Amino acid sequence: MSAYIEFRNVAKAFSGKAVLRGMNLAIDKGEVMFIIGTSGVGKSVTIKHLIGLLRIDAGEIWFDGARVDQLPERSLAPLRKRIGMVFQSSTLFDSMTLAENVALPLRKHGKLSHKDALVEARKRLAQVYMDDYADRFPAELSDGMRKRAAIARTLALAPDVVLFDEPTTGLDPVSARRVDRLIRELADTLGVTAVVVSHDPPSIFGIADRVAFLYQGIVHVVATPDALRASADPIVQQFITGQSSGPMETPGF
Amino acid sequence: MSYFRTRIEAIGGAVLGTSRAALELWLVYVGTIAGIVRGFSRRHGGRGRPKGELVRQLHAIGNRSLVFIIVTLGFIGMVMTYQACLQLGRVTGDYSQVGSQFLRLLISDFGPTLSGMMLATRVGAGIAAEIGSMKVTEQIDALRMSGVLPIDYLIVPRFIACVVMTLMLTVLGSMVMYAAGGLTAQYSFGVNPSTFYDLSFVRGRHLVLFVVKALAYGAAIPVVAGFCGLRARGSSEGVGWATTAAVIGSSFAVIVLDFIISAVALFLADGDL
Repeated sequence: MSAYIEFRNVAKAFSGKAVLRGMNLAIDKGEVMFIIGTSGVGKSVTIKHLIGLLRIDAGEIWFDGARVDQLPERSLAPLRKRIGMVFQSSTLFDSMTLAENVALPLRKHGKLSHKDALVEARKRLAQVYMDDYADRFPAELSDGMRKRAAIARTLALAPDVVLFDEPTTGLDPVSARRVDRLIRELADTLGVTAVVVSHDPPSIFGIADRVAFLYQGIVHVVATPDALRASADPIVQQFITGQSSGPMETPGF
Repeated sequence: MSYFRTRIEAIGGAVLGTSRAALELWLVYVGTIAGIVRGFSRRHGGRGRPKGELVRQLHAIGNRSLVFIIVTLGFIGMVMTYQACLQLGRVTGDYSQVGSQFLRLLISDFGPTLSGMMLATRVGAGIAAEIGSMKVTEQIDALRMSGVLPIDYLIVPRFIACVVMTLMLTVLGSMVMYAAGGLTAQYSFGVNPSTFYDLSFVRGRHLVLFVVKALAYGAAIPVVAGFCGLRARGSSEGVGWATTAAVIGSSFAVIVLDFIISAVALFLADGDL
């Protein structure tokens, strides 16, 4: 049986510099998969390929039994309706209120009228405890609030898969754990598949079902958090213990 | 051998890169026109264009450029008339044709082209910086994920606003330029205002040329600047490069369009422009 999401021998280079070199990864339906690795190793690049924000140079990407890496831009809308993404910076639109931000995908993908989309947007904001701020602009809110609103915008279309690009970066520990809990609840209660790019050990070891460790353009190891912690691999150990010296090659250092 | 091969590869790479950029610029232009058509054909005010965005852009591009255009074109009008009178004084001492010839040149070339150049710097930089910032902070990716075409959302309202406002600012700037030139001629060289403000040499074709040039510049500036913004990479440095490229590219577009439109007009008028 094939996986729900599958990257097969995916390669990608930027300006001649290889980032992914034949990467393979299979993600099951409903699981919370973390992708970890050093900065610049291609974690965000990997998830952006799934929704056509970047194009692979070689390989294949499959989602729910269909190949998606060759879809032209105009055919990606149904895919982007099923796979949402929470970006690293919250990426709310400054000229719109939170409600208008959340309403935007409902109008475009969901084909709701402006008025109906705004009503629906307030309900979505209530799910992340942000309904009191629906008429505020992003610039008036903290990073954590913006992140929650961005999550509400992504969840507005009830996607099957949500991609999180470093969702807890820049948040205080309490807000970070709330985001973690939200990701876990999405998987447990709604069956949403979550693919999370992260550097945050409490998130990784707190909510992941499995963890893929990306190193030198390929998936070095895929394991459960406990198996990863117990791994005898010196590269994995260096990364999870955060030691500056060891066998791991880190470009730029 | 390897030296020559490296050089040839570098030249080939540059040619390919330029060709690709030209194709992408063309696609942005075609996408913008298609976006305008889509905007008229869809319910809910176009595909992704935020409510009130067109008015906001009309204000940002038009109202906020008003003082800049009036001041710069006013000074240019003064300097050009002063220089023209100075040279005529040395050669013939006859100022009777200064105003009428200045107006003819102003309408057929200087008014729209200088206004276009000024707007290319002010408006082009603003558009590229705004779109470039959105690009490097992944807001454009977020737009695509929301089912919105970035060109419809970002470039179409700026395109419409820029076309409308460039024409209006060009009319206003040219009037200020003409008036400032007249005052300079009167107070510095004693030219009678009724002699300077002589409209008898202006023909309908000059006015057509004026409007065509203003509309062409108004269409080119947001497309070139938007294209540069969409190509921004990395972080703030990338936005800086995009802004610089937008100013250079928009100004260059104005100059090239001026040449092409003037050449076509000369051809159509059998050299009698």
